[in-house]
Amino acid sequence: MVWQRENKFVYEVFTKKHKIILVFFLLLFICLSIRLFYLQILNGNDYRIVSEQQRMHNTYERAPRGIIYSANNEILAENKSTYVVLFHPYNKCQSPSIQVIKELSKILDREIKPYTDKSLKYGKYIKLADNLTIEELFKIQEKKLMLEGISVTKVPRRIYHFAKETSHITGYISEIRAEELEDLLGQGYKLGDYIGRGGIEQFYDSYLKGINGGWQIEVNARGYQMKTFKYIAPKTGDSVYSTIDLNLQKIAYNALKDSSTGKGAVVVIDVKTGAVKALVSCPGFNANRAGYKDFSRYLKNKKLPLFNRALQALYPPGSIFKIVIFAAAIDVLGTDSLETTQCTGSFKVGNRHYACWLKSGHGRLNIISAMALSCNVYFYQLGLKLGMKNLEKYTKKFYFGQKTNLDLPNEKSGFIPSPEWKKLKLKMSWLKGDTAIFAIGQGALSVTPLQMAYTMSVIANNGFCHKPYIVSKIVNFDGIEVYKHELKVVNKLELEDKTWLLLHKALLETIENGTGRKCKIDGIKIAGKTGTAQNPPLKDHAWFVSYAPADNPEIALAVIVENGGSGGLNAVPIGRKIYETYFNIRK
Amino acid sequence: MFAVIGLVAISFSAIYSAGINYENSFKYVSMQALALGIGFVGLLLLARFNYQYYKYLDKFIYILSLLLLISVLIFGTVKRGTKGWFDFGFISFQPVEIAKIMFILVFASFLDTKSKEVEKVSFLFFSFVILAIHLILIMMQPDFSSTLSYFPVTLILLFMICVSPFYLFCIVIFGALAIGIPLLSTFINMHLKISPSGAFLTSLVFFLKMNLNWLYIIIAIIFLIMCFWWFLWKLKIRISIIYPLVLCNVIFWGCITSIPLEKSLKDYQKKRLVVFVNPKIDPKGSGYNIIQSKIAIGSGKFMGKGFKKGTQTQLGFLPERHTDFIFSVIGEEGGWVIAQLTLFLYFLFIWRCLIIAKAARDRYGSLVAIGITTMFVFYAVINIGMVMGMMPVTGMPLLLLSYGGSSIFSSLCAIGILLSIHIRRHIY
Repeated sequence: MVWQRENKFVYEVFTKKHKIILVFFLLLFICLSIRLFYLQILNGNDYRIVSEQQRMHNTYERAPRGIIYSANNEILAENKSTYVVLFHPYNKCQSPSIQVIKELSKILDREIKPYTDKSLKYGKYIKLADNLTIEELFKIQEKKLMLEGISVTKVPRRIYHFAKETSHITGYISEIRAEELEDLLGQGYKLGDYIGRGGIEQFYDSYLKGINGGWQIEVNARGYQMKTFKYIAPKTGDSVYSTIDLNLQKIAYNALKDSSTGKGAVVVIDVKTGAVKALVSCPGFNANRAGYKDFSRYLKNKKLPLFNRALQALYPPGSIFKIVIFAAAIDVLGTDSLETTQCTGSFKVGNRHYACWLKSGHGRLNIISAMALSCNVYFYQLGLKLGMKNLEKYTKKFYFGQKTNLDLPNEKSGFIPSPEWKKLKLKMSWLKGDTAIFAIGQGALSVTPLQMAYTMSVIANNGFCHKPYIVSKIVNFDGIEVYKHELKVVNKLELEDKTWLLLHKALLETIENGTGRKCKIDGIKIAGKTGTAQNPPLKDHAWFVSYAPADNPEIALAVIVENGGSGGLNAVPIGRKIYETYFNIRK
Repeated sequence: MFAVIGLVAISFSAIYSAGINYENSFKYVSMQALALGIGFVGLLLLARFNYQYYKYLDKFIYILSLLLLISVLIFGTVKRGTKGWFDFGFISFQPVEIAKIMFILVFASFLDTKSKEVEKVSFLFFSFVILAIHLILIMMQPDFSSTLSYFPVTLILLFMICVSPFYLFCIVIFGALAIGIPLLSTFINMHLKISPSGAFLTSLVFFLKMNLNWLYIIIAIIFLIMCFWWFLWKLKIRISIIYPLVLCNVIFWGCITSIPLEKSLKDYQKKRLVVFVNPKIDPKGSGYNIIQSKIAIGSGKFMGKGFKKGTQTQLGFLPERHTDFIFSVIGEEGGWVIAQLTLFLYFLFIWRCLIIAKAARDRYGSLVAIGITTMFVFYAVINIGMVMGMMPVTGMPLLLLSYGGSSIFSSLCAIGILLSIHIRRHIY
């Protein structure tokens, strides 16, 4: 305290300035305190949340899907685990570096696309390669240090043992798409999950998919796992037991494949229960690959392998529709087997001639031989006699134009034209010729193969309708049954007893002496009807619908060979093969 | 000096916690303790030593400091791109830290002896020569953050010695231009890369880039200033012609010096300096540190996450935990309570320093005390402001808290000098 006294003036100036800087420093520290308060007290919660998000990662372990069994407990679809290479973004590195990609490509000997999505968030993974072999897995583990951010994870992979034969029954699985995710909100699907597409995989997806598990882990700034908090074991999906008879399925598939065009469908239904024993759509696809690699190739294929013809394809029924006319004629007109009509090979409606398929004509026919020989002229006449009202009524009565409600997705209902429809859509009035064409199952009338098989099973049952089904029960991982199909008669097709009698007789006659002679098997009475549906400008479709044994029906089937030509020559042999297999008959 | 002991205690726990997960916390703590021990020896010696001798030894001290800085350029080892370390095997030492204190001693002595000539331009000129030699030597290392720390000390000391506010204003403008121009251009460049919006700004920048002739702009600004002065003259407000002329000169030289400065700064340094304004424009690069640091401090909330339980610190999200971002560790693990306590202790310490300055026996002592205080304040404000996202990331340690042998040693030496001033306040 010397200079203060020696030089008062200078000291006063000094103290003034001293005060100024004291206040200045104080202000600086107050600023810092305010900022500290702002960060920690006012925004503390937000920052706490961010810091928690940063260190917590959830990894998902996909649950294995349930197993799909055939009727005899053969496995149609199951899981094998495979290994996939994942990259998880860490610290500052959002996408795998070029060296890492190069090294991986070298190890795996396949090209790996570099991933350049900048918007990737923490906690998400990028899949770089899948389906690794064990050797590749070890190679990657060896070079782990060089491959920053790369990890290998076990992932269940779906295996279909009869990938082609049962492809349309099982369907396939593929990764869920972002736009689908919005529709499926709230059902527990996440991006990267697999979802069933087509067949049982799709229809019973909620049972099959199981519940995903996973780890909640703490990671450090480089993305390494530090601590694990909890693990939720994934819950395996429920096993689905289908009613498919694998033998029949294989035979039907191969028979269709070897047919003239290799396109078509077969549906075999157990008459007594409504169980679908075989459901083939040809060509099939490889269910093991459809969801991964070959999807676009299948889409481009002109034979439409992904299209389930048994449920979704609409065909004109052609001559097999004569069954309906036959029943209607006996029911409504009271026609009996004594009445005969002359077939000259052609029939005149208005000023147009409608030809019979046999140009020379069948000669004199009663209703049963007309059915057996599938005479068009006879049925033109019946159709015109019955009139459109009755025809429509009986078409509906035989469940045309209605879904069978089989437990598979995307079933089509078919279509029944009517005078009102024609007026509305085509702005033309319904002519007699339309009725005549309708009577032989041509024109706008369309059905699915499944519908026809169903109709046959109803006929075989004398009108009792069992709801068709393909899944008999679902059992969860612990062996508890969670779903069981209950047999029930959902409907009854009412026809007079005489009608049933004559119908069965006519159908039996068709196989014994008529157009379906190629299906005649010694020892088994088979009833059926062939059809050759015109499909201008392409070749005719070959139809065969049938049930057997005729006196005590067990199975009913519908066969169609798309553009196969004559039904009696092309579709019937396939039906015969199925019967031979079913009844264990050696050729 | 109770505050110092409190700060050192917090420092130790924070450093220990910061290093615990990396298996070298013991090393950190022991090294820090060693530095602290040496520092206390230095403190006691310097406290015993009469500070007034420094005033007579000023030339010797100045030459010594220059020798230190030159020798480190010749014999020093390179660490983190800076040739500023003497490596003695087990311990390395940064002479800049000591040189700063030496500079304060010398500069205070210079100001005290020449205080009668305050109004003369030659006085300013000489003081800047003293400063500039130091700065040039440090920039040759290059150590940008240390260079920065010289400015506030110089400014405050000049202010205390009653230099005309106009000159101080000129110095501030000079500094702002020299540093501001390169930084502004970097910032605008970064911003343009991120957001193409802001049509006005974009077009302005493009206009400037098209006519990239800074000379024209400078001439235009100088012309404007002259016009303004002429206008005032006409309004009978008499201001000496010297003022606008000096101002123009300052602006001109400021712009000129910005060019070598821009060249000397590395790209990442420039980015780091400006990114605090909006760290989100480069969240994975230069903005990463600030974002993580803010998250660390903010997530501490009121009570903190607990000692050794800070997730940001322990999992390595926070960079430079034990050195520059030590305050983030304190904020995260100790919460608002401890962080505010730290701030309070720091201010208490500053306040005590200022009281020493006020009560010193002579003006030289006061000036030295204020110089040292300013250094502490400047480091604290820049560092704490940096970790809270208010200040540029310069890589300045938080004196007394951060890990670093040289800085703790020099801080304690500085405190020793302060104590020396304090002890001798009543002695003739």
